[in-house]
Amino acid sequence: MKSLDRLLIILSSFLIFASAAYAQEDFVVLSGKVVDSADGYPLIGVSVSVAGTRQGTVTDLDGLYELKVPKQQCEVLFSYVGYDDKVIAYNLKNASAFSKVVMFTNVTQLADVVVTGVYERKKESFTGASATFKTDELKAVGTSNILQSLSTLDPSFKMMESSQFGSNPNVMPDIEIRGKTSVAGLKEEYGTDPNQPLFILDGFETSLETIMNLNMNRVASVTILKDAASTAIYGSKASNGVVVIETKAPARGRLQLSYKGDYGISLADLSDYNLMNSKEKLEFETLAGVYKDNSGDPFAQIRLDDLRNKRLLEIERGVDTYWLSEPIRPGFTHKHNIYAEGGEDKIRYGIGLSLGNVDGVMENSGRHTLEGNVDLIYRTGKFQFSNKLSINWLDVSNPTVSFAEYAYANPYYRKYEADGSISKYLYYPEEGVDDYPVSNPLWNAHLNNWDTATGFGFTNNFIFEWFATKALRLRAKFGLTKQDDDEQTRLSPQHSQFDDMGETEKGLYTHTQIKEMIYEGDVAVTFGKLLADKHMVNAVGGFNFSNNHRQIYGYSAVGFTDDQFDAPSFANSYPSGGSPNYNESLKRAASFYLNGGYAYAERYLLDFNYRLDGASMFGTGNRFRNTWSVGAGWNIHKEPFMASSDFFSLFKLRGSVGNPGNQNFSAYQAFSTYKFNGWMTNVFGTGVILNALGNAGLSWQETTNYDLGMDLTFWGERINATFDYYWKYTDPLLAVITTPGSMGVTSVAMNAGSQKTRGWEATLRISPVYKPSEGIIWNISLNATSSRSEYADIGNSFSALNESGKASLVGTTRYYDGGSPTAIWAVRSAGIDPATGKELFIKKDGTYSFTYDVNDEVVVGDMQPKVEGLLGTSLYFKGLSIGCYLRYRWGGQVFNSSLFQKVENIGTQEIYNNQDKRALYDRWSENNREAYFKGISLVQRTEKSSRFVMDDNSLIGESFNIGYEFPDRIVRRMRLGALNVQLTSSDIFRATSVRVERGIDYPFARTVTMSLGITF
Amino acid sequence: MMRKHIFIAVAVFLVTLSSCDKWLDVKPYDKISQGELLSSEQGYMKLLNGIYIELNSSMLYGGAMSVEMIEIMGGAYVIGTDNSVWGNYADLAGYEYGTDYWRARMNETWNKAYSLILNCNLLLENLESTSVRFTGDNYKVIKGEALALRAMLHFDMLRLFGPVYSRNPEMMSIPYYKKYSVVPNEPLPASEVAAEITHDLHEARILLANDPVRTSGIMSSAPADGSSTFMYYRNLRLNYYAVTALLARSGLYFGDNEAAYRYSTEVIEAAQTGIFPFVDKSLVSGSPEDPDRIFSSEIIFGLTHSQRNKLFKDYFDPSRIPNYVFRMDNGLMSDLIYGGGATTGGSQDDFRYRVNWVATGANKYFYKYSDMVDTGSITNTLIPMIRLGEMYLIAAESRSQDIEAGVSYVNQLRSARGVSSLQSLSRKTLQYEYIRELYGEGQLFFMYKRMFSPVLFTSSDNKNPQPSDAIFVVPLPSSETDN
Repeated sequence: MKSLDRLLIILSSFLIFASAAYAQEDFVVLSGKVVDSADGYPLIGVSVSVAGTRQGTVTDLDGLYELKVPKQQCEVLFSYVGYDDKVIAYNLKNASAFSKVVMFTNVTQLADVVVTGVYERKKESFTGASATFKTDELKAVGTSNILQSLSTLDPSFKMMESSQFGSNPNVMPDIEIRGKTSVAGLKEEYGTDPNQPLFILDGFETSLETIMNLNMNRVASVTILKDAASTAIYGSKASNGVVVIETKAPARGRLQLSYKGDYGISLADLSDYNLMNSKEKLEFETLAGVYKDNSGDPFAQIRLDDLRNKRLLEIERGVDTYWLSEPIRPGFTHKHNIYAEGGEDKIRYGIGLSLGNVDGVMENSGRHTLEGNVDLIYRTGKFQFSNKLSINWLDVSNPTVSFAEYAYANPYYRKYEADGSISKYLYYPEEGVDDYPVSNPLWNAHLNNWDTATGFGFTNNFIFEWFATKALRLRAKFGLTKQDDDEQTRLSPQHSQFDDMGETEKGLYTHTQIKEMIYEGDVAVTFGKLLADKHMVNAVGGFNFSNNHRQIYGYSAVGFTDDQFDAPSFANSYPSGGSPNYNESLKRAASFYLNGGYAYAERYLLDFNYRLDGASMFGTGNRFRNTWSVGAGWNIHKEPFMASSDFFSLFKLRGSVGNPGNQNFSAYQAFSTYKFNGWMTNVFGTGVILNALGNAGLSWQETTNYDLGMDLTFWGERINATFDYYWKYTDPLLAVITTPGSMGVTSVAMNAGSQKTRGWEATLRISPVYKPSEGIIWNISLNATSSRSEYADIGNSFSALNESGKASLVGTTRYYDGGSPTAIWAVRSAGIDPATGKELFIKKDGTYSFTYDVNDEVVVGDMQPKVEGLLGTSLYFKGLSIGCYLRYRWGGQVFNSSLFQKVENIGTQEIYNNQDKRALYDRWSENNREAYFKGISLVQRTEKSSRFVMDDNSLIGESFNIGYEFPDRIVRRMRLGALNVQLTSSDIFRATSVRVERGIDYPFARTVTMSLGITF
Repeated sequence: MMRKHIFIAVAVFLVTLSSCDKWLDVKPYDKISQGELLSSEQGYMKLLNGIYIELNSSMLYGGAMSVEMIEIMGGAYVIGTDNSVWGNYADLAGYEYGTDYWRARMNETWNKAYSLILNCNLLLENLESTSVRFTGDNYKVIKGEALALRAMLHFDMLRLFGPVYSRNPEMMSIPYYKKYSVVPNEPLPASEVAAEITHDLHEARILLANDPVRTSGIMSSAPADGSSTFMYYRNLRLNYYAVTALLARSGLYFGDNEAAYRYSTEVIEAAQTGIFPFVDKSLVSGSPEDPDRIFSSEIIFGLTHSQRNKLFKDYFDPSRIPNYVFRMDNGLMSDLIYGGGATTGGSQDDFRYRVNWVATGANKYFYKYSDMVDTGSITNTLIPMIRLGEMYLIAAESRSQDIEAGVSYVNQLRSARGVSSLQSLSRKTLQYEYIRELYGEGQLFFMYKRMFSPVLFTSSDNKNPQPSDAIFVVPLPSSETDN
């Protein structure tokens, strides 16, 4: 109290003295313009004052000011929120120094900042493991979507290749950051992938599909948050990692127009298919005994001989149909983005239009998106309002005949009849013959079938910020997303699927409507201040709530009589016994969060996070959950003992621990729900019974996450290295467990066991040539990642899954304590016995046996590679850039299902389909005793054994690119702002140690894209 | 000052937290949430009725446990050997429980029974803590019936999957679920399950002490004013006498003859006062145009199944030929059940023969489940679960150690069936009477299992399967032992 009084006295006496001084002396008027350092644009509302006095003014709309100062030496202070204060000393002579005042923003450059979506922190003082990429880096390695590019740039970010769906543009990929934390099988149960990371777009949670649809040219930066210290601020949604995407904010200045375009062509990659030609197939069938009658009926043998001769004759005529080429085409892609931006300091605006036309490599497969967005930023004094609105439209179509059906078709059939027409069957058995007809994939493909979807939605994100003081900021956000999707499929009545149905039941139309409404709100207070020049203190505290409401309506109709006329109104009826489908889920969450960071002299760093989450999916007993994390770091390069040398520009050790959770689960699993037993009522009226048994005591799945990391930059920025070692411990796991029937339900969502994962990842970038000032840089980069997981304490919880895996034809995943989620379980094989042609198995105790016993299963491989990563190089020479990225995988195994199902295990059903060439060769026979495969047989069942487990080492040409940024003088002559072109290719080659069919339902593709960027 | 701020901050935090909790309490719209359903008396009534309705499932008493699976195991039907006609039935008649098909079927029945037990337990547990106000005796009646349902389902699973109780009462049998749990219960020795069943039935009987069936009978028509039917049609619910009859049935099964006799005679006495009268002779004697084949007035507890005629059409209708049709072995019928004179007590004058067996060609077919002419009648929906006749037979068997002593009860029943009295009673003749009375109602297998006697597929003893654990003890479903 006393000190305050004293201060007041001093201040007031100073004021009195100052005013007295003014009265005596003359004034000088200083005038000039205040501009931004980055773009030279005038700053409006900058306060300009004589230090230590109240004498001051603000800049006008043109950034101009006039300030009366006393005619004596003094200091003039320029201050503006968001900018570093500037002080210019006036010494009575240097009035000209005030004519142009340049101010620098106090926000550090993007690359040096970690954007978590909740707060920003200088990378140097952040203790979490994260990686940030700018749009140019993303675009340089690929143009298809952000996530594809991220997987090329960061080893921990994996986009799982889908052997089933190949390059289908409409199938959303499975994505993982640092491996899986949840038990497989939940995706099938719940529809949401429990291993999917959280996506944050401009500060709001969003869906994978939105990110996949987002035009890359709109993106400013992407940050991947990997460890607990960086993700814990997202609490119980963060255990799979977080991807934070920021779109570009409009730049100020006069109206500027830019255009960015990508034009690509994709070609199907069928090199993994190894199918028989017509001669081989007929030979195989003959050897398999297809044309040998066993019934003893002489007429039957004559018929079979006849059939074989007919096919042979066709082959002699040169029939060798390559069916795989039929449904594919070159897929053309063109994407455009136009963005107009401008405005002055108070109001900035950006209006954009993006069009994406992606045509897949299969006929009728496309994904067309159109997106409009309006960005507005209004700033007045200490307040800033910004609003981002985007409206999107989507149109999707899928082929109605799967690629697999073409792969099945035998090469000795002709595609077309002699008159050019398409027949419904490739083979139709004669009357009275016990045989199946073989339908023609072209028939079903040429019909008026469709599988389409359209979507329309908008997202509006509003952010209000109040810069209360330089250190204290309040931010309130509200985001609203509305998305309506409409899916329709139609199968023509002439489709072969309806062959056995009555005339009035043929044809099928289904309509599904998905309505989604999401809102999210957030209020946060941010504090950041450097105290006593040494103590940097950051703090964020806030409250967040979200509401996600989703409704699905659907119905189907049957009985079309005509192929051409396909309106639903032509349907005859609803399917008999069918009822409309309605499904609804409402998820709500509310959270409080707190983040703090402290750095002492930029050397010793400490971060902590705390979040309290409540979610409606969890039972009343466990509604709230705590997430915490602590991180510590040491900037060795800032230590005084290192100060003498500037060899290291960055040398940081960091570590963190925390327990982020996962709530990618179904909305109502904690609650018991009931349904009407609608099949019967009685004299007492209606009845109700249990629909689903909830588990009110269900605990949240949480992952305790440890990370140790090191960041190094040295030798004049020429060598850049990051290394992270982590271990994760998910406990409890949440899984749907099969229960004894006596519990009254056959499965229940339960907490069972835990999973441990250990892994490391490393990134190394070396620049042998590093002359940024001349625009010449040559980089070589190598990144690698490796991880191992195992289950613990699961006991017998998954015995039902294990049993069904053992019984299934190809399932090789098992759940045992100590087992890896990616392990391949099978009985060991010693190969084919040359004497008998039978497979010799190795039992658990090491003895040999011809008898297969499923209980002899052991781990015979692991699908997870020992090391996986990318090797890349890039060269910048003036405006020219060349890049090349190779993906390598080493040390993993794969169960070769092509060998298992298309070489052996070809039964009386499968023989109708075309098969792998290897089914004919290297088979055991009296003459070829040293064979890898059993003898040809249609009745012999082959069991899962280590014989089909192969090393999967591969090298993939993931991305090659060449680009050119036109120099200023040419661009100016063309009256443009900037101009660049780039050519990118993806997946151009692939060398693997194992040959497996990939792209079963949809082939993979190789893509070449040309990109153009023009700023007017 | 600082303290005050902290206090305010904490207060705001707590208020927000508690309002959050409310906001986070989401009720599904496309499904019925437990909270919403069980917030009223009607909700409990609907859930109880839902359980009764589900008893009609083909996996339980709408098929497997009444006329199909269990009756084949009870030797009631001639099962042919032609697989294309009889499918998997030959395996079952040979007691091959290990086939994929029958394992799956047993599993299905087991799962269904226990899923209804879970429903009972959810109802009972919620009832325990509910704040809903029930009118009149409804609380007691709902609780009593749910307890009785739980006991009855456990009892039938014990009779099917448990040991031959008279020989191995301490053998591990089935789990008894007394409350809803996400952790499985371990199987118990049969005697402990028996104690639980008896306990639940006793409690149910006490709760149902004021059951209107004791004063007003079954009330087999809806109230004229259109008010709630909940306390009507008592024979379609586990009423006081049904629970008493279950105690008689279970007492006999568990070897407690004293209880069996006490409870069965209590039901008989009540029936004699007119609550469960013997079927009107005019409907069953001579050649009635529209016979009451199910003897509806004698049903102490029955299910009401809206498509009961499917039972007849799917299993017994001779027009199904050349598909399989269930019927009694001709020799068994003519030599023992409805023939054989004084030694067997079999007579073709028996009402049960006259109305339920109709000749087509050389064979007689079973018409108990064929509809009466009046299509709207509730009689056409009845599936008997416990009938009066069984009480007479239980009384006869349990009156004394000496089975002879019970002959009078058998004769009372026989006189109501229009046949002459037996001079004496033996275990054999008692079994014939059981077959006559309860044929096609799912009780015969349990009778043979209880008595540990040969299963009467035919009249010639050497062709009938001899008693053994292999035929009487169905192995527990694999879902139970594996998980």
